[in-house]
Amino acid sequence: MTTERTDDSMAGGMDRRTILKAVGGSAIAVALAGCTELLEDEDDAIEDAEVPDEPIEAGLQTFLEGAPAVLGVQAQYGAETAVRRINDNDGIAGRQIDLDVIEEGEEALENYQQFVNDGKEVTFGPISSGNHEAMVPEINAQGVINVATDGTVTTLYEEDHPPDENTYSFRFQNHDVMEALAAAVEAVEVLGADEIDTYAGINPGYAFGFDEHDVFSAGIEQLTGAEEVYDGFPDLGTDDMSTHIEAVNSEEPDVLFSSCWGGDATLLLEQGHGAGMFDNIELMVGPVLYGSANDLSEGLVDGPIRSGSRNFYWDEPDTDRWSPAAALFEEVQDEYGVVPTAHFMSGYGAVTAWATAAEKAVRPLGRWPEQDELAEVLTGHGFHTPAGYHTMANDHQCYSNAHFGELGWSDDLDAAVIENVNVYAPEEVSPPQGEVSLEWIGGW
Amino acid sequence: MSRFSPLEERDGKTVVRVPFTRGLTLTSGQTALALVGLVVLFGLPFLAGLVGLSWGRLFRGLLFGMAAVGLNLLLRHTELVSFGHAAFFGGGAYAVAVMAAHLEVSEGILLLLSAVIVGTLLAAVIGYFVAGYVDIYFALLTLAFNAVIFATVFRSAFFNYNDGLAVRVGGDNPTLFGLAWTDLGYDLVLYYTTIVLMIVMLVLMWRLINSPFGRALDAIGQDRTRARFIGIPVERYVWYSFTISGLYGAFAGGVYALQRLHVQPEPTLYVFVSGEILFMAILGGFTTLVGPLIGGVLLVYLLEATRFSFYYYHAPIGIILLAIVLFMPKGIMGSLPDFFAGLRRRVADPGRLGDDVRSIRSMVRQSLTRATTTVRILVFGVK
Repeated sequence: MTTERTDDSMAGGMDRRTILKAVGGSAIAVALAGCTELLEDEDDAIEDAEVPDEPIEAGLQTFLEGAPAVLGVQAQYGAETAVRRINDNDGIAGRQIDLDVIEEGEEALENYQQFVNDGKEVTFGPISSGNHEAMVPEINAQGVINVATDGTVTTLYEEDHPPDENTYSFRFQNHDVMEALAAAVEAVEVLGADEIDTYAGINPGYAFGFDEHDVFSAGIEQLTGAEEVYDGFPDLGTDDMSTHIEAVNSEEPDVLFSSCWGGDATLLLEQGHGAGMFDNIELMVGPVLYGSANDLSEGLVDGPIRSGSRNFYWDEPDTDRWSPAAALFEEVQDEYGVVPTAHFMSGYGAVTAWATAAEKAVRPLGRWPEQDELAEVLTGHGFHTPAGYHTMANDHQCYSNAHFGELGWSDDLDAAVIENVNVYAPEEVSPPQGEVSLEWIGGW
Repeated sequence: MSRFSPLEERDGKTVVRVPFTRGLTLTSGQTALALVGLVVLFGLPFLAGLVGLSWGRLFRGLLFGMAAVGLNLLLRHTELVSFGHAAFFGGGAYAVAVMAAHLEVSEGILLLLSAVIVGTLLAAVIGYFVAGYVDIYFALLTLAFNAVIFATVFRSAFFNYNDGLAVRVGGDNPTLFGLAWTDLGYDLVLYYTTIVLMIVMLVLMWRLINSPFGRALDAIGQDRTRARFIGIPVERYVWYSFTISGLYGAFAGGVYALQRLHVQPEPTLYVFVSGEILFMAILGGFTTLVGPLIGGVLLVYLLEATRFSFYYYHAPIGIILLAIVLFMPKGIMGSLPDFFAGLRRRVADPGRLGDDVRSIRSMVRQSLTRATTTVRILVFGVK
């Protein structure tokens, strides 16, 4: 079910013209794909377009403090990196971007309103799915495009805000069906369907955790007929997982699924190791464990643990063979001193989606697009980042490959890595347009 | 003066009788201030933008302030500190959301009515259990009830967990008075309806606290045992005041849901919100009727707006609040009489300004001396 790795000779054999054409043929699209060296001596007709002189005012809201900052600051780094690359390459049709970054908090809706009042031409964020849900009607009422970095609750564009009711709200990161299903498929890939008779879940006790648990359960039961033996939902930011770990030790499920992230993920691994949990399960799959890459220690990644990394793992394809990813990794290390995680790509990709669509719109229009024109171009828009190719589908949900691999440790980086990465194409782990995820899984 | 004239002579001064209050009189200065307040309140949708303020944010501030006015009935009169009033604000907000999302009720006034009913019932039930307690026990019990309600909503699929519920039926704004409005029309009608109701509720609160019942609450606040000895049914009166207090929070929460059109547990039901409502009352001046309203506007504005100017936005908020608490211990409205009296004295006798400067200089000198001594002890030890 996994997508085949690209052969070295294929990547090396692709000529400059082909790559330029593939990534959209424009300066910014190439720069954001991480291929700036291809831009030399390239004439660009976009320079003739009539666009305003002033910079593009943009706003990003993300979690900058507290427990969710583990995710939010990565999104900030990603968005800032994309903006830096755009500005270093003369902006979008000559327009630089000024990006204001503010704390998302619980007032994402109010933050968006303030951004609009401040004259922002585009806004990015939020991280929280609840915040995102509250924002969508307001985004459509205000008519200023927002590209959400995360806010990955599945039902948002499937049921609550279908395409005919949504013009200006978009989401870059894969939705949570994709990572929860990738976890189910990964478990089957690793253990084999016949070897999975029981499973358990320890997921954070809020909307995201409940949603992930439901999707994973539906997926693993359809794929293997396995029986759930335990489901625990510790509070977000809890300081004790022991009761859940004891329950897992007692039930000895074949697969443990956990969508815990940040401090909850490290706590689960710490206490799990302490209580010998990994001797009592065959495999643990966690779609966002690698979000804590910079906080994990060597001892914690031991054991049969496979982690997802949403639509981006920095070393897939291998940075030895994929220079855009290598350049990005180096830039992030130099600039921020961290390993970029999938949430980095959430910020990077959200900005890239909008910027490449804006540049695409300027070309035929010969002027800067209006919000509705840009929204139209963004719908169905395809673009590249160092994570690969992304498609902003007609439901305004972006689709990219999902990544899963074995949690490991790199002495060179002194950080967690994932190895033997499996890559799942969107059509393997998400329903066709117009279908509801759980109904689609039920039909497997 | 004519019998129908609002003006009357009292202690040689002309004062203004406020209609419907049975006894509230204002001096000419207070009347001018009240009129300015009314003009600002009614002109807010048009004036806010002119001075670069967000009308929506001010509106939310007034709503939280209204919840603080309700809380103040307990705080000021029965001297009970509730750490759980977000339960009624959030209860009202969630009543609106549940009615719209699950029962598809789309009339805003009906939704608001359901908020008041549900929030008040909630307050009546919780009040029944906590009315017999005082001090820290009362505070902890109210906090515990709040926490239980928050956890229930946060973990319930019926309330859609922390993602919350939309207050839109079929994607449309609720109707108001049976009419569908444009977005701006909806906001304006909702605002003015709220303001009118808010003024009525403030007048009612004034009458309540100046009624025999209000005096009984004061007696309970001063000494429960004595109040009981003179025949006041203490627990019952505390229960009534708790319920009325919750009604104000429920009303505010209901309007909040109609204004924001999406209700989530953290901004409405979390125990920190209870703390904020309490702080609003203290900040604005809990010894006054409208102080909590001012406190609400100020705190909400600071919490929402400073993040756009400061990266570490909690720091300036903390400094501003510290300054108000240290230098205006009676809160903003409570300190106004002292402030104006001091101003009048200095206008009459400018020499006092010199004393002020000397006082400040002496205060700074003493602080520096203390700081130097502390540093010397830290570095060289006590010798």
